[in-house]
Amino acid sequence: MPNDRTNLSRRRVLAGTGAGTAAAILGFPAIVRAQAKEIVIGGAANFAPWMNGTVAAAFEQKYKTKIIYEGTKSLVNLEKMQKNKDKPYLSIVMMDDPVMILAVKEGLLEKLTPATVPNLAKVRPAAVHMDGMWANYLQPWQGIAYNTKALPGGVPTWAETYDPKFKGRLIIPSLQNTEGLANLVVAAHLETGKPMEQAQFEIDAAFKKIKTLKPNLLTVYTQIPQAFNLLETGEGWAMASLFSSVVIPKEKEGAVKMSVPKEGIFVGPAGVCLVKGGPNKEMALALIDMLLSAEMQDKLQAETFAFPSNTAAKPPSGIGADVKVHNLDWGFVAKERDGWVKRWDREMAI
Amino acid sequence: MTTVRAAPSPWREPVVLLAAPAVLYLVVFYALPLLWLLAKSFIGPAGLTLGPYIDFFADPFDWRVIANTLGIAVQVTLVCLAIGYPASFALARAGAVLQIAMLVSIILPLSIGVVVKAFAWQIVLRRDGVISQILVAIGVWDEPQRLLFTEAGLVLGAANIFLPFMILPIYSLVKLIDPRLAEAGATLGAAPLYRFLRIVLPLTLPGVVSGVAFVFSMSVSMYVIPSLLIGDRFQTLSTLTGRSFLFMRNEQLGSTTAVILLVLAVSVVIGSGWLARRLGGRA
Repeated sequence: MPNDRTNLSRRRVLAGTGAGTAAAILGFPAIVRAQAKEIVIGGAANFAPWMNGTVAAAFEQKYKTKIIYEGTKSLVNLEKMQKNKDKPYLSIVMMDDPVMILAVKEGLLEKLTPATVPNLAKVRPAAVHMDGMWANYLQPWQGIAYNTKALPGGVPTWAETYDPKFKGRLIIPSLQNTEGLANLVVAAHLETGKPMEQAQFEIDAAFKKIKTLKPNLLTVYTQIPQAFNLLETGEGWAMASLFSSVVIPKEKEGAVKMSVPKEGIFVGPAGVCLVKGGPNKEMALALIDMLLSAEMQDKLQAETFAFPSNTAAKPPSGIGADVKVHNLDWGFVAKERDGWVKRWDREMAI
Repeated sequence: MTTVRAAPSPWREPVVLLAAPAVLYLVVFYALPLLWLLAKSFIGPAGLTLGPYIDFFADPFDWRVIANTLGIAVQVTLVCLAIGYPASFALARAGAVLQIAMLVSIILPLSIGVVVKAFAWQIVLRRDGVISQILVAIGVWDEPQRLLFTEAGLVLGAANIFLPFMILPIYSLVKLIDPRLAEAGATLGAAPLYRFLRIVLPLTLPGVVSGVAFVFSMSVSMYVIPSLLIGDRFQTLSTLTGRSFLFMRNEQLGSTTAVILLVLAVSVVIGSGWLARRLGGRA
């Protein structure tokens, strides 16, 4: 028996709902967008916890704007910008400096200035690149991670990694990995005796020295978790130039600790930039300013274990105020790196 | 009177239609990407070119990479053959219960991912791993040594992972061999070695060739296993291809190395097929 108590059949309800939804999406997109105040950010996948946590909470509270964070690799973020160059959907991108250089070359970024980002004026000059095309916010620092059972005293200097006692026990990153370049600079410094900042350009000397490290190598890694496991289990004794963000959270477990070598530490190239023509520019600049502020950098210390770029921010715990901090010339690296990787393959092969 | 009907067109056969989904799938998801890869390796900024191939073969390091790739594949194949050939006889001649247990132990590991198995081999090949402990215990080594990140370790790990692909094709032929053939040879005065070389081996050779083709083509193109068991200091064509695409973003170099790898693997498979047909015909 047909239900004649109501005119609303299931089919009519479905049709009505569908039409309403279609009208909402197709007919009033501007209204829909206006109601959803949000900005989309591209960044590293492992930054998602604190970007979606501490940063998103502070930003939403202050600016009533939601952060949509897309975590992936730097090169993938670059591709997203390239593919959407005519109509960018990302407002901000957080990438490694070598990839930033590629983005600048392709005209994908818009310059930051102290007028638009006040905290830029308080950032260390070495952390502002290419006349303000991007800036480093928190920089994971690189020292020497060591197995506490094998080396209770740690590894006090970079030079010590060349000691024959490390035969088959040292793990280093590949030059494909951003953190791998520090070992090349250290090698140049040890070979030439020049300060790190000058030695980084002495690549022939760097290769001459680093080749002598081969007997000490357990492996050259591209994947951190696998290599770190070797260190934790004692197969490897030390990992040279690993990021603090990997080691420090694990220190409480006791098997691995981080040494701050006497020659100094390197800081990683974690940069933030404004996408040219990206949506919601005002909010994007506000978020960049927040990331560069001493308050936010202090707050993120506990989660990122990184070195602050704002001069007013506190240094990371466990690092003395007098420690030497080395930055690489990423422009030089970007230009030469492919050649170095080829040379590395040939000279460091088993 | 008999009428001779013209053979129906193969395209009207329903069996062709049955293959259509598979063909469509392979064309879209395999053949077209492969063609794209091939085209990419021959097309440079100025049009058609052989430049990437000339550059590749002009570099002595790239020959070393090819030698690494082929050398490891040959070693893995030989180890698989040395272990797999007698194992397939044991499997074929075992009683029902033991045979099922053996088959399960051969097939079950195939359900575990290569990454998991390679990680497991990392533990086995360490200085404090099982192999090192056994070799020290039986007096082969004076002190624990690591096989991890050595060519020997890579061969051992890869051979374990690919072993079922050697055993199963040989087993499928061995179980068809009538045991009375060897007995007949014995009654005619043939010595065991002669019986094996003239009766058993020729009958199993097509299976051996199939197994060799499987194992060789998989080990020549393996990517994850060398990445985990020997690392970045031992380049093969696969790792070079991966690096070209993922790190250097040099699609042309990646396509070139991929095509060279493909040609090597396909040559072995085609060569094995030809050999199998010849040996099969002779047997």
